[in-house]
Amino acid sequence: MKFSLNNLTINQKLALIIGSLGFLAVFAGSPYKGFTSTIDSEELATIVEKEVDHVPPEELAGWIITGKADYRLIDLRKESEFLEYHIPTAENIQLPSISDGQLNRTEKIILYSDGGIHSAQAWFLLKANGYKGVYILRGGLEDWKDKILFPRLPDNAPPTEVAAFEKAKLVSTFFGGSPQIGGAAASGVPAMALPKLEAPAGVQPKAGAAKKKKEGC
Amino acid sequence: MNAPFFKFGLFGDDVSLIVAFVIGIGFGFFLERAGFGSGRKLAAQFYFTDLTVFKVMFTAIITAMVGLFWLSWVGLVDLSLVYVTPTYIVPQVVGGLILGVGFVVGGYCPGTSCVAAATGKLDAFVYLGGIIVGIFVFGEVFPLVAGFYESTPMGQVTVPQHLGMPYGIMVFLVVLTAVGGFAGASWIEKKMATKVKES
Amino acid sequence: MSSSEKTLTIDNAAVHKRTIVAREAQPYWNPYIAGLGLGLVLLSSFVIMGRGLGASGAFSSLLAATVNTVTPSHPASNSFYAEYLGDGTKSPLKDWLVFEVLGAIAGGFISGLLAGRVRKTVEKGPRISVRTRFVFAFAGGILMGFGAKLARGCTSGQALTGGALLGLGSWAFMLAVFGGAYAFAYFVRRQWT
Repeated sequence: MKFSLNNLTINQKLALIIGSLGFLAVFAGSPYKGFTSTIDSEELATIVEKEVDHVPPEELAGWIITGKADYRLIDLRKESEFLEYHIPTAENIQLPSISDGQLNRTEKIILYSDGGIHSAQAWFLLKANGYKGVYILRGGLEDWKDKILFPRLPDNAPPTEVAAFEKAKLVSTFFGGSPQIGGAAASGVPAMALPKLEAPAGVQPKAGAAKKKKEGC
Repeated sequence: MNAPFFKFGLFGDDVSLIVAFVIGIGFGFFLERAGFGSGRKLAAQFYFTDLTVFKVMFTAIITAMVGLFWLSWVGLVDLSLVYVTPTYIVPQVVGGLILGVGFVVGGYCPGTSCVAAATGKLDAFVYLGGIIVGIFVFGEVFPLVAGFYESTPMGQVTVPQHLGMPYGIMVFLVVLTAVGGFAGASWIEKKMATKVKES
Repeated sequence: MSSSEKTLTIDNAAVHKRTIVAREAQPYWNPYIAGLGLGLVLLSSFVIMGRGLGASGAFSSLLAATVNTVTPSHPASNSFYAEYLGDGTKSPLKDWLVFEVLGAIAGGFISGLLAGRVRKTVEKGPRISVRTRFVFAFAGGILMGFGAKLARGCTSGQALTGGALLGLGSWAFMLAVFGGAYAFAYFVRRQWT
């Protein structure tokens, strides 16, 4: 009897199809590599140029104080550094595991590290992977310390600056920092210890794992 | 195209609930078509007289597995974004054994009992009540079993990752086992049918 | 006279036959076609949502919501319920799995209706009473609920979804389910055969 596809029952045809697709899979290579995303370099350049992807530390401080929770703050530093001090509400995810699926592409993500380089690298990595709302904390943790925790009022400051400093003082105390007055570092240094890792009053620490409902069955 | 669509933000949480309902309709429809609304048909799997459960379940598994493999391979789906339940091997095996006993005693599993109840099987309603009680018991004793529940964590690991084997080879092995199993299942069913006739 | 009588009887038979056909349940589909359909539903869930199907999670949400309404202080102290209650900003019933299971009930009903299989019955073997069957069903449900929570999923979420994703724990779970069921089948054989 000659072999013909027409002689097969529907079940045999299905088995043949799934069998061949399965067999070809052996030679296809990893399915994880198939995903590539296109980068609109012009769009990225504009974003970088105009710095619209930057969040000033003052703005972030405001969000934390008012309890805004529509963003996820990601600390990119080492775990030990994270445990020593981190901005309230931050979660610790290191650069190599940034696109492992812990973050959603729909979320507003704010990145920070010590300076700006790690954040910039992570920003690009996430953008290239199709994450929409990725932002960088301007100046990183350095600026956070300078502007929020330990704001400094220079000697002979104009009245406008003094007024602004009054506000900064409140913000600083809220985050457990200490405002510095005068240019001399001598008086400031001992007081500039990083605040202890207790959430300031009124801020609920975001528990990343617990907040996310589970996806499984 | 970027898939999974939801994870790329193509629609929000509210729309996802509508999607859930529509996908659910398909789920329930095919379960009922397969005969999974009948506890007797489901239980027959464990007496070798009707192996439909095995056939349907493994056809669905290999269809979705092979489909997902090729969709990822051509770059449509980012496989790393599809949620894999993390492995906690010992509690999963123990839970599976308990669940298996519950399956043959009760005649359904949670999904099929919904379909059975929808088609008027009164025992399925009783069974659903039992499930709620079972989950309640688990919730109440959770502080006692939490340690065991969290034991032997292995992360979101797949079989090929664990064995250090290429994904594609694993896919083929599963297809091969399933198709071989189907042939075997039909053979067993025939044997059992003649045995029942003789007796 | 006799001819008209004959036509009448034939008509009667036809009417009678039609009612029987309408009431008689259609046979189930070829398991491989039903399985293919089920697999494609699962695949679309992967592609659209990036997650698979489930069932027992919906019951947990339902239970958590109920317990939370009856004794609001209780679930907050128990991390099991807390997982299903989320951050408290929205109802635990506004959950993906809850809506999926509602859809499954609707889908099962539609299919059953189209095939003439919606009927008030009790699924059991001929050798036991309805009451005994209910006792077994309830006991089985309890074991199922407990086991599904311990294993982090049921046949839908673990075996089907995890199986298609080649999850290690899911495959171990699947083997355990079949193992447990086959090992215990002998003891409840009176119920089914």
